[in-house]
Amino acid sequence: MALRQSLGLATRDYFHEWQISVCFVLALAAVLGPMMVLFGLKFGIVGSMIEELREDPAKREIRPVGSGRYDRAWIESLRKRDDVIFIVPRVRSIAATLEVQSDRANRILPLEVIPSAQGDPLLPPGSAAPKGLGEVVLSASAARKLQVSVGDGVDGSLSRRFQGRKERVHLPLTVVGVAPPRSFSRDGLFASVALSEALEDFRDGRAVPALEWEGEAAEGERHYTGFRLYARSIYDVAGLEEGFERSGIEVRTKAADIETVRRMDRTLSAIYWSIAVIGLAGFSLSLGASLWANVDRKRKELSVLRLVGFRTGDIVWFPVVQSLYTAVLGWALACAIYLAAAWSINLMLAPQLEAAQEVCRLLPRHYLIALGLTLGASVLAAVLAGIRAARVEPSEGLREI
Amino acid sequence: MAEQEERKPIYELRDVVKKRASDSYSFSLRVPSLRIFPGEKIALIGESGCGKSTLLDMLAFVLQPTSCEEFVFAAGDEPEDISAAWRRSRRNRLARLRRHHLGYVMQTGGLLPYLTVRENMNLSRRILGMKKDDTVDELAEELGLSRHLGKLPSELSTGERQRVAIGRALAHRPSIVIADEPTASVDPFAAEKIMALFIEMVEQRNITVIVASHAWRHIKQLGLRRLAHHTRRSKDGHAAETVVSG
Ligand SMILES: Nc1ncnc2c1ncn2[C@@H]1O[C@H](COP(=O)(O)OP(=O)(O)OP(=O)(O)O)[C@@H](O)[C@H]1O
Ligand SMILES: [Mg+2]
Repeated sequence: MALRQSLGLATRDYFHEWQISVCFVLALAAVLGPMMVLFGLKFGIVGSMIEELREDPAKREIRPVGSGRYDRAWIESLRKRDDVIFIVPRVRSIAATLEVQSDRANRILPLEVIPSAQGDPLLPPGSAAPKGLGEVVLSASAARKLQVSVGDGVDGSLSRRFQGRKERVHLPLTVVGVAPPRSFSRDGLFASVALSEALEDFRDGRAVPALEWEGEAAEGERHYTGFRLYARSIYDVAGLEEGFERSGIEVRTKAADIETVRRMDRTLSAIYWSIAVIGLAGFSLSLGASLWANVDRKRKELSVLRLVGFRTGDIVWFPVVQSLYTAVLGWALACAIYLAAAWSINLMLAPQLEAAQEVCRLLPRHYLIALGLTLGASVLAAVLAGIRAARVEPSEGLREI
Repeated sequence: MAEQEERKPIYELRDVVKKRASDSYSFSLRVPSLRIFPGEKIALIGESGCGKSTLLDMLAFVLQPTSCEEFVFAAGDEPEDISAAWRRSRRNRLARLRRHHLGYVMQTGGLLPYLTVRENMNLSRRILGMKKDDTVDELAEELGLSRHLGKLPSELSTGERQRVAIGRALAHRPSIVIADEPTASVDPFAAEKIMALFIEMVEQRNITVIVASHAWRHIKQLGLRRLAHHTRRSKDGHAAETVVSG
């Protein structure tokens, strides 16, 4: 009962003295708002860089330098590793080309053949992967130049000099997909590993019975000169690179880029947190000081409440309720300041950004964390000040000048 | 007198001492024996600084005595041992006694600036959860405050504020009203009127009243019992002791 009275009176007092309450709210928002902007910037900048790294499969690629000699068993052993999400063997690059022609475009386009399989990170997840010897996925630029789309047929051809004669063979291909422009920018053709092997066999003068291409019989185990390998995540790249280097395979990765961003994240985090800790300390002090001063200012009125018989506990509620108002209103104002600042920062930098990228960004939980911190700090300050006020002998407070 | 002896005193104090000391001056108030009976009207008259507020604050349980032999308050059903409550820091118990049995009119102020006159007068009733009735309106009528019920204290004159304070002290029908120079801040003519009205109102309601004042002449015709006291000062002027009894 008395508790409810206390809450009601505290509310009345808070809004009666609205000028002073507004000052407290402004003082709080003036510290909290910029801190939120600061964190929004840190989170937005680093967040979008990390996101970019994560989303761009090229950043996870590990490619061998020069040509080596890898057998199928070695490739399989890599595929079983946890930190490898995709690996296919590559044939000699000189053999990995195909001239392609479509009915619509009257030109013959030489295409780079990229061995692919289900789960290829360069192909959109869930889209068809080329299978067998008759399916291909075209890169966006190749599809455009050939004026074909999914479902169309194209004619692939390749030639060799065999037993002194120049030979050319044709094979009918179906376009089962078109890769997005950002995953492969040149004119390319994603083919199954089997098809890429067939092309190499033909060029080497070997027979490909499945396509009725004649030649010498294949002998011995096949060796590959390279592979396409993607790490599971950007964080696995450095480890894999180290492993390859140790076994004498020189590879090229984006590990340096990744490390740069991660270092930047750490640096920015360190800068941010040092500013945040200082800011938070200043914020708690200013909030605590103003609430403390407020309780001091209210000592006479609080003494009157004690004189008419409010219990100590009810008295402590009085400043607590008022500081809760200050905390919530100040937080709301800080959010408004943040939103306005973030909006204008993002607008200002929009031309330099890709679509949907934001420089200044907060998640809903960040707002809640800010609210929690504010409430915690203000309630603590108010309780301490309130207890102090309640400790003072009522007669002292009453006789205050 | 015999009639009074049969009834139990509301206040019973024995050897209650309050010492107050600052750097160069020490003041002590000693009450060898004081009994106040229900319905009594007590006046505490004395010059400024003789310890009136000190005694009243102790009687209102807002000031802790330095030492005390016996301090019993018996307005409720059970006599309360105030000295024990202080010793054990039972502040909420003292607050409860104030809430139920006490009205206090301060020398100045004591109104909550954010509440209207009506709400200020109703404050004690609200804390006690008393039902809404016309008590406040009747009191306001008697005190000549009907026109001001909706105003905030800052919009009132000093004399009007004192009358609001009197209204608040009476609204919850306490057993005792303590008034510390309730009319000190108004002009003598108004002071006399307000004091007369106040005494009349407590008389009607059969409330025990203890009033402090520095001028006997305002109240001598109101039929109050005057507490005997005398103040002794040390020769060097650094110490004073007031002894009150009655
Ligand atoms: N908080 C305090 N600390 C130290 N001394 C005090 C304190 N309050 C009052 N005194 C001293 O106690 C003495 C009595 O004070 P008190 O307020 O009881 O006087 P009073 O009779 O009510 O005076 P007045 O008529 O002016 O209100 C004074 O001499 C004063 O100096
Ligand atoms: Mg006084």
